[in-house]
Amino acid sequence: MRLPKFQYLEPRELEEALEMRALYGAQSALLAGGTDLLVRMKQRLMKPSFLISLKNLRELSGIRIQGKEMLIGAGTPLKEVAGSALVNLHFPALAEAARAVGAYTIQQVRGTIGGNLCQDTRCLFYNQSAFWRSGRQACHKAGGKICYAREGSDRCRSTNQSDGATALMALQARVTLRNSQGLRDLSLEELFTMKGETPLDLAPNEILTQIRLPMDRPGGASAYERIAYRSAIDFPVASAGVWLESEGGTISKARIAVGCMGNAPLLILQAGESLEGRPLEDTQALAKAARIAMDQASAFAVENVGATVEYRVEMVSVLVERALRRASARAAEEKRGEGS
Amino acid sequence: MSRVPLKLKVNNEELELLVEPHWTLLEVLREELDLTGTKEGCGEGVCGACTVLLDGKPVRACLTLALEAQGCSVTTVEGLAGEKGLDPLQESFIRHGAVQCGFCTPGMIMAAKALLLENPCPQEEDIRKAISGNICRCTGYAKIVEAIAAVASQHDPAAKGSVGTLKEEPA
Repeated sequence: MRLPKFQYLEPRELEEALEMRALYGAQSALLAGGTDLLVRMKQRLMKPSFLISLKNLRELSGIRIQGKEMLIGAGTPLKEVAGSALVNLHFPALAEAARAVGAYTIQQVRGTIGGNLCQDTRCLFYNQSAFWRSGRQACHKAGGKICYAREGSDRCRSTNQSDGATALMALQARVTLRNSQGLRDLSLEELFTMKGETPLDLAPNEILTQIRLPMDRPGGASAYERIAYRSAIDFPVASAGVWLESEGGTISKARIAVGCMGNAPLLILQAGESLEGRPLEDTQALAKAARIAMDQASAFAVENVGATVEYRVEMVSVLVERALRRASARAAEEKRGEGS
Repeated sequence: MSRVPLKLKVNNEELELLVEPHWTLLEVLREELDLTGTKEGCGEGVCGACTVLLDGKPVRACLTLALEAQGCSVTTVEGLAGEKGLDPLQESFIRHGAVQCGFCTPGMIMAAKALLLENPCPQEEDIRKAISGNICRCTGYAKIVEAIAAVASQHDPAAKGSVGTLKEEPA
């Protein structure tokens, strides 16, 4: 498969890249690892006139702790995120999500955490070759007025299948978006628009430079779970990220994010709240929270990523419960570690 | 659009080429350099048949722009055999009958090579994980895993020039 033609730009530093973004705006696309972008360009889902390569921008890469935050450069390869001692120690859910993307040897070497977070929403009726799509009318995502995933839908129902996004949502990540004038600081809830046609609040003149995770939360533990047809290469058909904060064996705060159900990872507040004040080892409470997450997420899912909706929805409860059990075990282990 | 210069070291040979910006590394290897050992299967990063080493790391040549490899060292399956004959991995694939139709073989061997460069003594699980991004539609995975494991088990960390090295270290 051939790529469409474009002009290739190689900024040497971030400022230069931001000026190119300011100049070329929506005609430009950012090339990091390319494992998602180049596929969509080959399928003619995108035809940018200018491709801005981020490969020389060293300032976009690296993981460090600064003040009360962990800073992860958006251009950090997934392999580095998965293998980082800092990430594995403080936010194992993110390491688990990075490890689950694509194939261990390939996408993770080139693919970046920023690219994974910003990957477009997907749909079986959209992410196909130009030839396949040429036989049908354009759907909402392609600028038309119909939806093949749900009959009569007045908007795009494409699905966010990013592993990184679901884990980062549970971990309460924030992102830094830069343009040539300044920067914006958004929570993930703000980054995602919940619109399938334009899933990200990322302006054509902006570049995602950093992902930031709050570190001032003692007693935190996390885990990520996903289910896919195959353990390698495939996108997940359901996923869950959880974050638990506990004090003296009692859960003080919980964040439960469900992936692959809506246009964005879904933060199920009610499920998290149901765990507050519960002991870490209260498995019934964990199971109940998982069922709440499933019930709420079920309203969003449509038949468009492979497995049946019924199966995917049921798996939400299974995956949330598994993730909660593992996070709870991690929290308990940490508590024992402190006691000795 | 006009062609732009690309400096590349392919299988230890320094090259200066003129390429279109939208050419992938795979297109340059196969069509400009006639290195057709690297295969195009799916063209979208799913099958792994186009796996090559870029500065010693495995990448999908079909999803790597040629210009992104500017100044890098590329190793394809053609670059494994030396004056002394085939690479131990290639010998092992033959000995174990790990080749059926052969289409996935270059990608499998390069993915395995990348693993052995990083970890000369992998466990079976590491091997399975390393080739998890490569599809063999003849489904001959068992023999492939055996072939890679056999090379790994021969490895003596003290011995020079063993499997865990390229002929010349990438820059």
